[in-house]
Amino acid sequence: MVPEISSLVRRSTFALIALASVGVDVAAGDGRAVGQSICFAAIWIVVAAVVAQFVPIPSDPRSKPPLWLFLLLFGLALAPFGVEPLRRNWTGDGYPLEIQMVCSLRNVGLGLAICAGWLLCLRLACVTSLFLILFSASMTNHPAVMVVLGMYTATGSIWLMITYWSGLRLVFVAPEKAVTVELHDAGERAPWLGLSFLIFFLGLALALVLVGPRRASYALGEWMPTSGGTGATDMFARYGVGDGPEETAGDNAKAAGMVETDKMIEDNKNSLIDAVNDLYGPPHKPNKDMERMVAAGKLDVIQFHGKLPDNKRPSRDFDTGRKGPKGNPKPKSQGARGVFEVQGRTPLHIRLVAYEIYEPVEKRWLEACKPVSKLIEAQGGDWMKLGFFKPNDWYLADERHQLKVAELKSNLVPTPSLLTHFRINKVDKSDYYEWDYEGVLALAGRKRTPPGIIVTTDCRTVDPLRLPKSAFGTVGATNGSSPKLGDIPLIIHPEIQKLARDWAGEHPRGWLQIDAIQRKLLSEYVLDLNATAPPEHPAPVMWFLTESRRGPDYLFASAFALMLRALDYPTRICMGYYASPDAYDPETAHTPVKVTDLHFWPEVLLLDGHWMVLEPTPGYVVLGPTLPLFERILDAFVFLIAWLYSHIVKFILLFGLLFTGWIYRRDLFDSLAFLIWTWFPGKTWREQVRGAVTVLERRGRLSGKARKCRQTFICWLRESLLKSSGPDADIYQITLMAQWAAYGQEAPPPWSQSEVLNVCHRVLGSWTLKRWRNAPSDFPNGDKS
Amino acid sequence: MSILTDDVQTNLTSQGALLEGIRVELNRALRGKADVVEKVIACLLARGHLLLEDLPGLGKTTLAKAIAFAVGGNFSRVQCTPDLLPGDITGFSVFNQKTREFEFLSGPVFSDVLLADEINRTTPRTQSALLEAMAERQVTVDNIKHTLTPMFFVIATQNPVEHHGTYPLPEAQLDRFAMKLAVGYPEKSDELGLLAAAIGHVDDPPSQKSVLVKGQLAGLQERVSKVLVQPNVQEYLVDLGRATRVHPKVTLGLSPRGLLIWQRVAQAWAFLKDRPFVTPDDIQDVAIPVLSVRLGLAPDAASNIINQLLETVPVPV
Repeated sequence: MVPEISSLVRRSTFALIALASVGVDVAAGDGRAVGQSICFAAIWIVVAAVVAQFVPIPSDPRSKPPLWLFLLLFGLALAPFGVEPLRRNWTGDGYPLEIQMVCSLRNVGLGLAICAGWLLCLRLACVTSLFLILFSASMTNHPAVMVVLGMYTATGSIWLMITYWSGLRLVFVAPEKAVTVELHDAGERAPWLGLSFLIFFLGLALALVLVGPRRASYALGEWMPTSGGTGATDMFARYGVGDGPEETAGDNAKAAGMVETDKMIEDNKNSLIDAVNDLYGPPHKPNKDMERMVAAGKLDVIQFHGKLPDNKRPSRDFDTGRKGPKGNPKPKSQGARGVFEVQGRTPLHIRLVAYEIYEPVEKRWLEACKPVSKLIEAQGGDWMKLGFFKPNDWYLADERHQLKVAELKSNLVPTPSLLTHFRINKVDKSDYYEWDYEGVLALAGRKRTPPGIIVTTDCRTVDPLRLPKSAFGTVGATNGSSPKLGDIPLIIHPEIQKLARDWAGEHPRGWLQIDAIQRKLLSEYVLDLNATAPPEHPAPVMWFLTESRRGPDYLFASAFALMLRALDYPTRICMGYYASPDAYDPETAHTPVKVTDLHFWPEVLLLDGHWMVLEPTPGYVVLGPTLPLFERILDAFVFLIAWLYSHIVKFILLFGLLFTGWIYRRDLFDSLAFLIWTWFPGKTWREQVRGAVTVLERRGRLSGKARKCRQTFICWLRESLLKSSGPDADIYQITLMAQWAAYGQEAPPPWSQSEVLNVCHRVLGSWTLKRWRNAPSDFPNGDKS
Repeated sequence: MSILTDDVQTNLTSQGALLEGIRVELNRALRGKADVVEKVIACLLARGHLLLEDLPGLGKTTLAKAIAFAVGGNFSRVQCTPDLLPGDITGFSVFNQKTREFEFLSGPVFSDVLLADEINRTTPRTQSALLEAMAERQVTVDNIKHTLTPMFFVIATQNPVEHHGTYPLPEAQLDRFAMKLAVGYPEKSDELGLLAAAIGHVDDPPSQKSVLVKGQLAGLQERVSKVLVQPNVQEYLVDLGRATRVHPKVTLGLSPRGLLIWQRVAQAWAFLKDRPFVTPDDIQDVAIPVLSVRLGLAPDAASNIINQLLETVPVPV
């Protein structure tokens, strides 16, 4: 039986390919704003939706699609390759080859969805959409793509339900009414295509079982063409599978950069790890600049006599089983993009210096003292554990990050706050580490952390709302806090205290009180990096709080810390690096942190001795815990509502416009079609009549009184229009004209061209879409039987 | 306003009068069956043969006689029985004692209108005697071909109720008919009129008059054959024919000969509507009588299945 393709199936298929198109555009847009990518995709989708209105729906879905469709799809497939050179030439921007190919496939998918009336096109459109969404999901892990993927999954489920019910409806239909044309010659041939697919999927399943999904997915990735590039010959090319910076773990180390290899390449640089090589011979005399190094065994080191390139940029890591290209090429040099790079969830605050005492004379903060001792215990596998973490309800699950050092000038080991475990490859003793300040880890005995070091960290996350009142100690009473953590210069103490109490309002001591002050700063103060207090002003913090209400981040941090001290909270401020989510690079899946990302923030000491990061500066946020799905959805919903509320006028206008457009979409389409016919009615009288009849037919279809498959225009017009309007000379005339135009001989017609146009105009003018809709409910629909 | 050009209009005026005359005569003979009469005329103009399948006494023979009279041709009637021989239809050779030669005595097939009444009562062998006559308008007896009249037209009747002692027509025979029609019972008013008209008449039926003279029917048939069928309409026709061949409930798909006949009947149908070209509506209008005779369908399902086929294939626009 021929499965009936209902409009719902067609529309859900179109929705699938539309979502896949959005996913592709978001994934393809390197560095482009997500909104912009969605807008680009929306343009394509809207164009496709408009074109779909003009594509005929065949009465027999199994019929062979017409030739023009193949030509159209071929043109759509080629379009991106034709447009790309022009784009590169005019805008200077461009896509790599694989993105062009996917754009081509997206065009084909949209074209197929437009022609989903044909079963073949419908099926191909579904398969194409699936491929596109999988491709976009594998290309990037951008949250927007994940959202689109979720929507695609939901829509796909609906699609399955609709097609299932369409199939059932055919089963239950009366045999006399079922459409029963079926070709039986298929059974005589072996189903080679089906067998090929079966073998392919069996192979795929076998591969998944034998080598695991990860390696299988890499193998599948090999099927994708890449631009083959490193950017050397084509500035728009990207790394793809089969090329790239050759960063591999395993025995055959080629990494000169940020990857944790099992084997080390020995060079003459002042690295963290060095071999104990007998070739040096006793007595070994280290050069005077040599820093402390981790000793590695001979078997861990590979002798390399050439010059190793610098590689201070992370890239995608490849599986150890991956075969590199032939010829064993040297890795490319890659300059550092920042001081270090973060792999993992951001935002992240990386402490560099902690300040505890505010000096009122010099109007500056003084650095904190070095901590007496903080226990670092070595665990297996080079992991270090901080043994002073007590289990508390307000801490949530550990969050893992990798911080890859590129160009640090100090011996800092970059770690987030609330650190519980950390690891550096091959560094297996705790005395390689020391604390510069509380919560600021450094490499002991070294001036500088070498590039290429990867610090893997586990840190707790905290949900402030779960913090009880008892979590916050008072100055001097908190574990490990000194009385200086509550110091406020006398000159500003009364004012600060009054302001803090005013802002805290009636909130009880605890997070709500802190949050009230933080909200005030976030909402009523402006971040202005260029704002500085007048030199003669006795207290820049008060100038910021009471006069300017704008200032750089250190004034936000200072003001907040001092106000909390006025409320008897032990606080300090920290300078460090802020890994912003905005800097995330989807290509390498890392967030580079640059020197310019230096930032100040306050911290409050919790009763268990840990410093909790606060963020009063507008535009900066603290990494929160990974919320359950429901809470994330709720948060997103609340954010959406808030966003809509903040853009309420635009939203109402846009919504009103879209709603009105949706309500009157049929009238709009009809008006557009009528205008097109009016402007371009056709050269010959036949074209004019056919165009007019097409407009009439569309009106009938839009008003739910479509022409049936077996009806000729003439029969349909006569039965519908004449029966509902009574005798009408124009309708009768146009039926004769339409009949002659469709089936008559080429002889000159018995009408003049102007007469034809006049009749068509009069019929189209009098038989408007509204009149079609208002036709009687027992409007004949042309059932001749 | 007519869609015909002036010269065509003039030509058709005379032939329109002829056709109207035939209509009047046939409608007088068969009351209240204008639609059946119209299709019979279409069949006649398309040079097809007609199979009437209905109950006895509904006017099948009357209609056949009326056609013969109206077109001004000879009329022969064969009452088919099981003992009827092929020679009884085609004719046979007899030995002339005087000339000492065989002479051919022509049978009833050598007429302009042949009524084969209750054709399914005779044996297949005798039925097959009509095959050559219907398809090629000739008969071969003793290896000698005898040409029939150009306007040779067979009207066969069969009774769908009685099955005892009947021989269903073979498919090859059925395919040579252009149409199968059922006359059906007339309306009450028509039956009243029929009774009223019979008062005072001894003869049954009332006398008929000829409308056409020799050659005029051939002229009309030639004009029908020139009615235009555009390629898109022909493609539609072919698509319909192919659809019959893949339909699971159709035991015998439409043959190319069937397609040719369907086109001719559609031409005749358009001609009867004063239109110089065929539209898909013409094809659909004659689909049921043309297809039901040759698709091997059960009589009660034929109409539904043919309508399904018509619903399946989109009309050209």
